[in-house]
Amino acid sequence: MQGTKVVRPFPFFRAGARASQPQLSKPILVLEDVYKFFRPDQPTLRGVDLSVERGEFAFITGPSGAGKSTLLKLIYRELRVDEGRVLFCGRDIGRLTDKSIPFLRRNLGVVFQDFRIIDHWTVFENVAVALEIVSMPQRLIRSRVAEALERVGLAGRGPEQTSNLSGGEKQRVAVARAIVPEPALILADEPTGNLDPHLAIDILTLFEEINSTGTTVLFATHDRSLISKRDHRLISIDDGRVSEAQQGLKHWQGSSGIHTLVSSAWGRRCSA
Amino acid sequence: MTNLDAAATRWGQSGRITLFLRDGADPQDIAQLRVVLEGLADVSEVTHVTPAQARESFLEEADVGADLSKLPSEVFPASLEVALVQGVTRERSESIAMRLTQFRAVSDVESYGRWFQKLDHLLWGARMLAGGLALLVMFCVVAVIGNTIRLAVARRRQEIEVMKLCGATNGFVRGPFVLEGMFQGFASALLAVLSLLVGYLVLHDSVDSTLAALTGSKVVFLGAWTVVALLVGGAVIGAIGSAVSVRRYLAV
Repeated sequence: MQGTKVVRPFPFFRAGARASQPQLSKPILVLEDVYKFFRPDQPTLRGVDLSVERGEFAFITGPSGAGKSTLLKLIYRELRVDEGRVLFCGRDIGRLTDKSIPFLRRNLGVVFQDFRIIDHWTVFENVAVALEIVSMPQRLIRSRVAEALERVGLAGRGPEQTSNLSGGEKQRVAVARAIVPEPALILADEPTGNLDPHLAIDILTLFEEINSTGTTVLFATHDRSLISKRDHRLISIDDGRVSEAQQGLKHWQGSSGIHTLVSSAWGRRCSA
Repeated sequence: MTNLDAAATRWGQSGRITLFLRDGADPQDIAQLRVVLEGLADVSEVTHVTPAQARESFLEEADVGADLSKLPSEVFPASLEVALVQGVTRERSESIAMRLTQFRAVSDVESYGRWFQKLDHLLWGARMLAGGLALLVMFCVVAVIGNTIRLAVARRRQEIEVMKLCGATNGFVRGPFVLEGMFQGFASALLAVLSLLVGYLVLHDSVDSTLAALTGSKVVFLGAWTVVALLVGGAVIGAIGSAVSVRRYLAV
């Protein structure tokens, strides 16, 4: 589903600030020679260079433990880079003070494999929390949440208790929470990991619909069957290093290159 | 502590002096002495106790298990019981007693200073014990409140994490927890004060008739400012406990 692409001006890093025109024409996310160490002699990410354009949809793939989640955590600043730079909208995230991190996160939507929604809250409350933290008026919150729920296929389900929802529905609530503040970038960390294959496709389609309105999406997954169904840009991480293909896995089948690289990396991990 | 302080103050200010008169003291000297005493501003009442009255009073109050009725009247000297007005300090009482020894009719003066000193020591010990117990209870209360709040915050760890990931500031996350902790602390303190009040209302009559007869003062409830301090203290402990407990989960 392709809609009109909208590039939104957005406040970022501090209340009321807006991205300038030159910033809007640059890549939304740039990683320059990024290293992340959890053990001194063994970097989880080593020399990662990456550039993501505005409105792009990219898969981040690789075997478990390859560094996909670490890469995303560096972007939403749960972790800080040890070397190199992570630039979001031209701003070096690694140099943000602790007080600025909330303002960074208000420009990001993050979706996790384990949903991270609050079971004793209603669907509405789970989505509205992303707007309540910016002290938005209740009237506006109600309309924005209703719109977000409609976009994820949960129209009218706001009053329901989240604990009564299925896994797929819970993930839709998490997606609604991620999109409701209209972020510039959505980071999805294995969002289909806990779902059946047909639900996984539904959720992937949902992210693609969100992307079609201009939101940049980074979708981390190790599900090869999911990647093979789409033609999106493919960023592969293995042993902390990044290789990438500008188009999806199915364009590389039967030839050398990214498919071979990904397959061999997975093969190595599985046999290990 | 409040009641011990009240007892100490009351004992310290309930002055009483006994003037033991010489055997065969001139009645005129005694009358003159009495006039002098009644002229003092610090004296509220002077009672002349004859040896016979003293003996009778002793036999009435003594309970030593032996027949004391055979004791001769001479064993009990005549005396002047001097009651001082309320509020006379112990130093002033000692000073009056010292001056009264110079009168011819007086053989000995008992100002009960040593007794009050012993009672002071007893009260000091009781105060220390009560203070120690209060400290112990306070530590227990802080530990219990702290752990209760920590458990409550830990249960809501996921909410904190979600809010932080959505871009909530530390102040936004901390605010409701601190308010909740403040309310819980206030409510706990209020409950404790109310329980104490119920205990006081139920027991103070029986305590007054026994213990108060011994200490000379009635049991009183906490003062208004003490109650306010306890309630505010509870709220502050709750707020601080919450703020500290939430802090560890804010590093998301």
